[in-house]
Amino acid sequence: MTERPGTITSHGNPLTLVGDEIKAGMPAPDCEVIDNDLKPVKLSSFRGKILVVTSVPSLDTPVCDIETRRFNEEAALLGPDVQIITVSMDLPFAQKRWCGAAGVEKVKTFSDHRQADFGQAYGVLIKEFRLLARAVFIIDAPGKVRYVQLIKEVSSEPNYEEVMQALQKIMAT
Amino acid sequence: MTERPGIITMDGKPLTLVGDEIKAGMPAPDCELQDKDLNRVKLASFCRNQIVIAVALPSLDTPVCEIEAKRFSDAASLFYPQVQLLVISMDLPFAQKRWCGSEGLAKLKTLSDHVGAEFGQAYGILIKDLRLLARAVFIIDGHGIVQYVQLVKELTHEPDYDEVMRALKKVLEVQA
Repeated sequence: MTERPGTITSHGNPLTLVGDEIKAGMPAPDCEVIDNDLKPVKLSSFRGKILVVTSVPSLDTPVCDIETRRFNEEAALLGPDVQIITVSMDLPFAQKRWCGAAGVEKVKTFSDHRQADFGQAYGVLIKEFRLLARAVFIIDAPGKVRYVQLIKEVSSEPNYEEVMQALQKIMAT
Repeated sequence: MTERPGIITMDGKPLTLVGDEIKAGMPAPDCELQDKDLNRVKLASFCRNQIVIAVALPSLDTPVCEIEAKRFSDAASLFYPQVQLLVISMDLPFAQKRWCGSEGLAKLKTLSDHVGAEFGQAYGILIKDLRLLARAVFIIDGHGIVQYVQLVKELTHEPDYDEVMRALKKVLEVQA
């Protein structure tokens, strides 16, 4: 497995990402994640919709919480052709609790804790902590990656406007 | 790594545990875990001149585990600091921190095994298909020897608390 040292930082300290970099234009790798009821789900099962995948270190940290609530608000404004999912290493039990407490219904949460399959397939597995880096991927209905944003400093929020602009472009085509 | 199929069940379905069985009388294997602030800590660092109750459970974010952790916390806090209660799970350190903050359990230490599953493998309680820890209780004396083991056969059940407390009292008597 490819290791990419120094690709991101946490409070300025360099971290190593595991897995190859995924770029716009590539076919979206398939992988298996776990839903809130411990059932494995293939990422490819969302084919036919535009899929926005946000990966975050943990929903139990303030920035990830803010970010996912924000995406949930955005998701409410987008029609049924777009699905937003959040993937993290949080256990499914923590994700279920979080979604209930935060009133998040539009964004679906999935855990990568069992195999780190998503993290490796999308090159966002942080080697030192076995957490996912903060990133956003947009995959179009046929299954091609159309947009990638990897947040260089893991404690920063993503650029939401850029994501929404990219999404609107893909929806228009 | 040894695999032990069918040792425990979840809602009646058999599960496989990874790692060798640990029995009373064996030296306690050391391993690295992560504390609430993401620091790497050695299990052995808690076992010096202190009796450790290591309570392993699937997730603090499930009702049975929560009841169990509180119950052990109430019981073990009577013997603190002679006895240190460690609650170990695959929950991320962030979840453990949130949980401890909301439950106000100052004397209990939570440790996460999520990075390397080292504890799970060293103590033979890593559930293979789920990458969660089985429900188990280990008492390690001040010399680093395992004095008591309780592996809960059905994952959704609570442990036998009274048996653990009786075993703890015996270890305390010997130590004194």
